[in-house]
Amino acid sequence: MSESTTAATGIPKEIERFNIIFRIQHVLMFTTFLILSFTGWGLKYAHDPEGLSSIWIRIWGGPDTAGLIHRIAGVTMLFDFVWHVIYLVYLFATKQMTINARTTVIPLPKDIFDVIKNFMYFFGLSKEKAKFGKYSYAQKFDYWAVFWGMFIIGFSGYALAFPMQVSYIIPSFATGWIWELLGLMHSDEALLAIVFILFWHFYNEHLKPEVFPMSWIWITGRISTEQLKHHHPLEYELLFPGEAKKEKKG
Amino acid sequence: MSQKTFAVAAAPLLFLFFLLPSPVFSQESETCLDCHNAMKGTIKAQSGAMVDLNVDTEKFKASVHEMLPCTECHLKFSDASHASSGSAVPSDILSLSSKISAKFSSDPIAGAACIKCHEEVYQKVLSSVHGKNILEKKQTDGALCADCHGSPHYITKAKDGKSPVSRRYQVGTCGKCHGNQEIIEKYKLEENVMDSFSESFHGRKLLLGHTRAPVCSSCHNAHDIRSKSDPLSPVFGKNKLETCGKCHKGANEKFVPAITHKRPGPIPHYGEKLLILLTMGVFAFIVIHVLLEAFADIRDAVFRKKEDK
Repeated sequence: MSESTTAATGIPKEIERFNIIFRIQHVLMFTTFLILSFTGWGLKYAHDPEGLSSIWIRIWGGPDTAGLIHRIAGVTMLFDFVWHVIYLVYLFATKQMTINARTTVIPLPKDIFDVIKNFMYFFGLSKEKAKFGKYSYAQKFDYWAVFWGMFIIGFSGYALAFPMQVSYIIPSFATGWIWELLGLMHSDEALLAIVFILFWHFYNEHLKPEVFPMSWIWITGRISTEQLKHHHPLEYELLFPGEAKKEKKG
Repeated sequence: MSQKTFAVAAAPLLFLFFLLPSPVFSQESETCLDCHNAMKGTIKAQSGAMVDLNVDTEKFKASVHEMLPCTECHLKFSDASHASSGSAVPSDILSLSSKISAKFSSDPIAGAACIKCHEEVYQKVLSSVHGKNILEKKQTDGALCADCHGSPHYITKAKDGKSPVSRRYQVGTCGKCHGNQEIIEKYKLEENVMDSFSESFHGRKLLLGHTRAPVCSSCHNAHDIRSKSDPLSPVFGKNKLETCGKCHKGANEKFVPAITHKRPGPIPHYGEKLLILLTMGVFAFIVIHVLLEAFADIRDAVFRKKEDK
């Protein structure tokens, strides 16, 4: 967004969508996510299919090592999350990031209408797809799913990995059921996260005809103005108001 | 020296093989096994018990007891035949054998004879909940030596992977009774122990081969096992702090309730239902959305090509 928006000199071919820090945070997030999924899966489904989980876990160095890998990856992921939040606070504090309805990732009522509009389009009830700002509802869903996962899976995972430290802050009335609940939360929500990534994220960012085999933004951080106009028209209008007006007239 | 002379000279030395340590296997056992290795089936003993006659020589030789003569435990019998009676049975073994005769009916003296070598352990068992069940309550379906360790003829070290009390098989061995509905009801045992263990982190890790995951005896003790309501039990009240602390340094009162054999209470139970509902809800939404979008894309590509351009 640092690019000039003066329409008089023409518009740039591409703009930066995610800076290097966001890209590093994303890479850390998905590498630790994959490692956690792979090592955690063997423990969640230790019983079935019979014997196969033992083989799978042996690939990860056996249960002792797999457990260690899982803990290291988990702590790394939590650090990544904390870093992201602190970085956002820094961006807001230094006014490098401001809240605008067209560029914010915060869910707005418009997102609900966008979902309805898109469903109508899917069923042929509407001729037009929903028009998005910087983040479509699909992308917002993707983003906040990680927050949900961090609070539910991240906290429960931390408690399970360091039970003695965490036990001091657990109120006495909860000790009878909290551990059981933490285990269930961790494993059930981890499954939800895996299913979510496998369907939602993989379809939207990998399998969709227009992005297959993947959207390259995660490496380059840049999106072409052409794509921006197509996928994020409301942001395009905000960034290049002159150009957008001309196109509408023409 | 020709080959022939060498062979002749060396031949007498072959007897040295008999002095090698490998056949410590007692001569007397050999005599008994001559018949019992070949015998199949059971006979009815004087006590009315059915006695399995077969003793597999190969398996016996592989056991930790292979060097013992049969009469070391089967004190009633003499070296040579069944006709002549053996040496006088020591009074302590005789009195113990009468106490366990209902349980160990095939040869109660042999069952009591374990105490000759394993006195400390045997005394622990007798004062344990398993031992008292047999000595005081006169039950015959409770556990004594052979129920957990298998036949004394084929017993191997607990560290040996094949032993029924090894890390690999112990949980299943305890489960013969503690997972048996009839026994659970008869003795009013905690009913969910097997499932709750295999579902727990401990059970899962053990199944996967974790080297430090606990087995039953890690928390409940082996020979001096006690009811959880016995203050001497390692899982009674505050004793848990020490028991859990063996692996979990600094285990405190808020930590030890983490592992129980009870069924999950209402909060985890309905909590999980809620989580499953959430998972299914999200799953339904994303799958429907992805499929509809894909179909809409195909529809657009096939039927609306011209309109687009």
